[in-house]
Amino acid sequence: MSLIDLLRTAVRSVSANKLRAALTMLGVVIGVASVIAMLALGNGARAAVEATFQSLGANQIQIGQRFAMDDGDFKPTGKTLTFADGLDMLSAIELVERVEMSVSKTVKARFGKNTVEINTIGTTADALEGIASSGEVQPVGWPVGAPLTVDDFISEGRLFSTDEVYAGAPVCVLGYQTALDLFSGDNPIGETIWVDRTRCQVIGVVAELESTDVQERYRSDPNEGLLMPISTVIQTLYEEEPSVYMVVHVTDANRIDEAKEQITNYLRERHQIEQDAEGNYQDDFDMLTRNDILGQQQEAAQTFSLLLAAMATVSLLVGGIGIMNVMLVSVTERTREIGVRLAVGAKQRDIVSQFLLESILISASGGMVGIVIGILAIPLAAALNQGVALLLPGSIPLAFSVAVLIGIVFGLYPAIRASRLDPIEALRYE
Amino acid sequence: MSDAAQETVIRTEKLTRSYSMGESLITALRDADLTIHAGEFIALMGASGSGKSTLLNLLGLLDRATSGEYWLEGKPVSSLRRDELSDLRGRRIGFIFQNFNLLPRYSAWENVALPLAYRKGEFGSQDQLSRAREALSRVQLEHRVDHNPTELSGGERQRVAIARALITQPAVILADEPTGNLDSKTGVEIMRLLKTLNGEGRTIIVVTHDVNVAQYANRICHMRDGVLTEGESLHVAD
Repeated sequence: MSLIDLLRTAVRSVSANKLRAALTMLGVVIGVASVIAMLALGNGARAAVEATFQSLGANQIQIGQRFAMDDGDFKPTGKTLTFADGLDMLSAIELVERVEMSVSKTVKARFGKNTVEINTIGTTADALEGIASSGEVQPVGWPVGAPLTVDDFISEGRLFSTDEVYAGAPVCVLGYQTALDLFSGDNPIGETIWVDRTRCQVIGVVAELESTDVQERYRSDPNEGLLMPISTVIQTLYEEEPSVYMVVHVTDANRIDEAKEQITNYLRERHQIEQDAEGNYQDDFDMLTRNDILGQQQEAAQTFSLLLAAMATVSLLVGGIGIMNVMLVSVTERTREIGVRLAVGAKQRDIVSQFLLESILISASGGMVGIVIGILAIPLAAALNQGVALLLPGSIPLAFSVAVLIGIVFGLYPAIRASRLDPIEALRYE
Repeated sequence: MSDAAQETVIRTEKLTRSYSMGESLITALRDADLTIHAGEFIALMGASGSGKSTLLNLLGLLDRATSGEYWLEGKPVSSLRRDELSDLRGRRIGFIFQNFNLLPRYSAWENVALPLAYRKGEFGSQDQLSRAREALSRVQLEHRVDHNPTELSGGERQRVAIARALITQPAVILADEPTGNLDSKTGVEIMRLLKTLNGEGRTIIVVTHDVNVAQYANRICHMRDGVLTEGESLHVAD
């Protein structure tokens, strides 16, 4: 029989028992709806995390000093995470490609009669790369999504070099607004300003920046501030060695866990952290990778997804068994029909196709209903999960394929059984 | 009789069918030799359990012989596979059953066209419909083309079944107690129809235990305890 004839036959048989077919579909409906909701939640959680934390590259590890509650205050614990810790890490651990470091401090900056109280950030020479790759800010008016280079972030002059960072050179780069505030529109390059009690030469001005997130633009001004070599800040603006914030770049993103372990051992050794009686370490630093963040964020969504996955599996299994049961009943009920078909020339594969197509028709119809219900249920699932749901277009064919697969898997046995009937017995069947 | 009548449609040699029932072996048909020529109308008579249904199933390619050989239109069939038998059955055999065996929910013409539907790519749906109409008009049912079997009388149902058997122009039509579920008046109508078709050159084998049915045949074969006795051709007063 041609496929169209077979399909017509299947539609006719299924619609002859509409209620039975509808009830049989129920398991597949619930299962496919769960699959849709599950995929949407998983994708939503992933997309949300990726959007929030795209600043942290896959090969990057954030390291900061550990803070703990003490007397109602968050206070740093243990030894200070120093600039030297970061510098030596580069030579001590092969997997470490480079270490971005920064400290920040509120300072008074003065030029002539103009004084501003601003945040100064002491950084390594790759500060702008960090800013550029974070994707959080962009030069004002920059077309969305257009590629950015480090140079696009400097409007005048230049950033300090690695040599200047090592030397602790007294130079600084001004934020766009800060340059206006101090110099009232005059060219600041080459001038010397006071930063607290340190003299500092202006070598560059950062481009006027805005947040890439429109809502974020009202909250913060990325144009106020001052960039200085981290060593200069530590030597001249602090009385005690400050704790630095590090972003470690690893040579191979696949070996990031290995790198984490090596850094842990390295820092424990430098900070003389010993195992206590229970075999635990009282680390005085915290590390964070993108996977850690993903893990934390997805944990909540995962519990819910797991529940949905279990529901989907059970419903699909029950649905599939239901289909098999109904198809077996159908084969028995229509034994005589099968006999007639065999008598007039039907081959085994004609009978297999006929019954297989019927079970696929039931499961695929259930799948389509399930997809619609699943899409309608996504906001509910997202609300229950206090999360975001995102339906990717690929999820729909995936869920539909699952439904069809159920029809094939659970329809095959009844169909084969039908095709193996003895025509004489089948014709004689009452 | 025409020249076509001399062609051998069916020939069997020592056709035997046995079944194992637990420990014992039951031989339902033993060494049946049968030759049927084109255009013959044969009645196969015997009591129930005599083996006539077994022989009919073998002739209809629904079953396979335990031993012996069967040539359908000169072609030996004992070595054919299941699907090959199905194909040959669909093309060369027409069945008429006691209980009609029409598909419910399918219209008269769809039932009639069913054998064509299984011949992949040979008949388009328009072709199927026109051929089914033609077959239905041969049994005087042109006015029932779109009716469901449930809307038809017993005699009409059997005529639909006859049209279904005719549509493929088979080598032989096998009728198993075709009047068994009909009242005697309708039974006579059906047998007259078969007789007419025979007159048009169709080869027909009717299995029956009813002498009134058998009298339409021009040869009667008897079955008893699995043994076939080939009858002589005879002329029957209509």
